[in-house]
Amino acid sequence: MISCAEFIAAYSELFKFLEKKGGERAVHAFWDYLSEIYLAKSLKRLVQRHGLRGCWLYWKRSLSEEAADFTMELDEKKGIFKITMHHCPSKGRLLKWRHLQPYPEYCRHCDVLYRRILEPMGYRCEADFSGTAGAKCSLVVTRET
Amino acid sequence: MSEIMRRRASDNVYLHRDFHNALNIGLDYLNKHFGRGAVVEYLRQFAKSFYAPLSRKLRRRGLSALKAHLEHLYALENGTIRVVCARDELRFESEYCPAVKHIGKMKEKVSPFFIETERTIYEAVCEGTPFAYELVSYDPKTGKSVQRFYRRKK
Repeated sequence: MISCAEFIAAYSELFKFLEKKGGERAVHAFWDYLSEIYLAKSLKRLVQRHGLRGCWLYWKRSLSEEAADFTMELDEKKGIFKITMHHCPSKGRLLKWRHLQPYPEYCRHCDVLYRRILEPMGYRCEADFSGTAGAKCSLVVTRET
Repeated sequence: MSEIMRRRASDNVYLHRDFHNALNIGLDYLNKHFGRGAVVEYLRQFAKSFYAPLSRKLRRRGLSALKAHLEHLYALENGTIRVVCARDELRFESEYCPAVKHIGKMKEKVSPFFIETERTIYEAVCEGTPFAYELVSYDPKTGKSVQRFYRRKK
């Protein structure tokens, strides 16, 4: 069994494997597929039912289960949801496992997966990956008027 | 309504079980787009890189290293295993695989390739060590299994 606590390593290796098979295009094709399959019943459904609060509900559970170090802000009146990741548990693990070489564009999967779900529902996503070398990032989701 | 939530890593236990399904989806995707061989090739590549320290311990310390790994793994996932470990053979039985159980709980279909997360992974872990691996039995519906590691004959 591969423990869910080891999954991030398996994920990173999968991206490397796909890139070897079909280049960056193969990695992105998998991210598109995963977004549709994996997030359809969770994030997508929650946002369909609760609007921007669906983002809050989705990440409240997933980031807690991932023991992330984060601040999450929701302002429904202004139509803004923001995650400030002070230390990402996934990237943090990849950096900690010194015997592994992480997939260089590992963090990009978040942007692709979530943007693909949220933008067709009328939300704008802005991710800042400038701090990923230190396992930091942020995501702002804005309701388009 | 506006809300703010601040959480530190120490506030929670790292156990996001839905990741099991993400792996499940990945295995089916590989088979669909690149064939069964790619599923095995990928898992082998993953095991050879990620479990390299475990293989090293297996070479140096023998089966007790594997016993410690398995007990830690199943305890983390709230699974139970019975391990019988001697110098030349380790045998373990699990009533169910916690990953398979969680995928079922999510009402998702378990990939027919999920068995390879046992077989291919442990075969790869044993490569380059004095030990070999055998998947004695496996129930794809529950992940119930009997597995053994044994010293290769010289």
